[in-house]
Amino acid sequence: MAKIIYVVDDNENKNYKYNIKEDTIIYHFSINSSSDVEINLDKEDVSLYYYYNNINYDDNKFNIKVNHNKNNTHSELFNHGVNVFCNKLMYYVDGVVPKSSSKCICNQDNQIINMDNGKSTICPNLLIDNYDVDSNHSAYIGKFKDEVMFYLMSRGISREVAYRLLLNGFLINSDCIEKDKIKLFLDEIEKI
Amino acid sequence: MLEINHLYAKVKDKDVEILKDFSLKINSSEVHAIMGPNGTGKSTLAKVLMGHYSYEVTSGVMSFLGEDISTLEVNDRAKRGLFLCMQDPTVIEGVSNSEFLRTAKGEITGEKVNLYSFIKDMDSAMKCVNLDSSMLHRSLNQGFSGGEKKKNEVLQLKVLKPKFIILDELDSGLDVDSLRIVCENINSYVEENPETSILIITHYPRILEYIKPDYVHVMVDGKIQKTGNIDLAFTVEKDGYVGIGSGVDG
Repeated sequence: MAKIIYVVDDNENKNYKYNIKEDTIIYHFSINSSSDVEINLDKEDVSLYYYYNNINYDDNKFNIKVNHNKNNTHSELFNHGVNVFCNKLMYYVDGVVPKSSSKCICNQDNQIINMDNGKSTICPNLLIDNYDVDSNHSAYIGKFKDEVMFYLMSRGISREVAYRLLLNGFLINSDCIEKDKIKLFLDEIEKI
Repeated sequence: MLEINHLYAKVKDKDVEILKDFSLKINSSEVHAIMGPNGTGKSTLAKVLMGHYSYEVTSGVMSFLGEDISTLEVNDRAKRGLFLCMQDPTVIEGVSNSEFLRTAKGEITGEKVNLYSFIKDMDSAMKCVNLDSSMLHRSLNQGFSGGEKKKNEVLQLKVLKPKFIILDELDSGLDVDSLRIVCENINSYVEENPETSILIITHYPRILEYIKPDYVHVMVDGKIQKTGNIDLAFTVEKDGYVGIGSGVDG
């Protein structure tokens, strides 16, 4: 059974450091905030699932660095942001596997939806110094795709309701999230 | 029910005209099939009817139940009763099948959908199309096989109860058993809703053996060139489009 951590930032800039010694899931919800996150996977065979979900109104940054300090450690990062206005949103996402750590899995998926003409940047970095690592990254910046809107609307769903469905699906991107722990964030989605 | 007169449509922002003087009338309870060579405009017709963002109607009339639908939003066309069963249904990550269907049903009917009765209805509908009930809670079409996607389209039409169904290459990507199941479900839907009309777009007559058409049309270069009964479909399969004198060069 993995340890589960909930973090909700509301208009604040915070630093977080986690030294992980057991399987952990972190749900990090951020409303118009900047965050600096450092994670050390400090025990062999541990896994980390990190879900970062962010609603952004001003210029903000999200830095996250995952250090695979032990063998056979596993990280999966899912970073989703919605950039509401014409501001800057930057994600720097580092996965680090030194030569001393073998058979690690280090994956990251980063997506920012620009609701307006915001300047969003994603820097996905995989700093791998070992040959036996399984590692992938993806990055998408843009709007919700036209084909997705068309599909939803072709079933009678209005544009506004379709947007709301997509926003909820995008920002609450795990079925296991306990909704009562993130009420503030859920309320914020409704305001977008 | 559906009347298309002298319709011209092109790719948006490009000078590529695809539908050229296309006309077709489909009465209620009728089943029509359109066949034709690749690139002749069959799927474009389906998308234009539904109001797809890639195409623009330049002239002509599309009338559904007596109303011109050419300026209606996509969702308003669906609310009037049009349903496009897509050739390659879109994957939507994060939006569960159940959330999507419940929302769509609420939007179509204008009524709040009771969760308990919805889940109960879905359970039996999913059994009918031979889909595992766990798929209701998965992201829409994500990780679904080709066959499961098509079954999911048919599940949607059973829930949303349209008046006019467009089947755009329903048979592509379906094995024989899956094709039989989805066609049986469409036929039972039509039995329950006998006013329903169907437009089938296909390359092969196999689907027409399950859903019997009243008319088969051959479309070439953006318009209908020949009309007949189901025998025309078998002739096309045997002799090709050149053999039936549809205007296609050999």
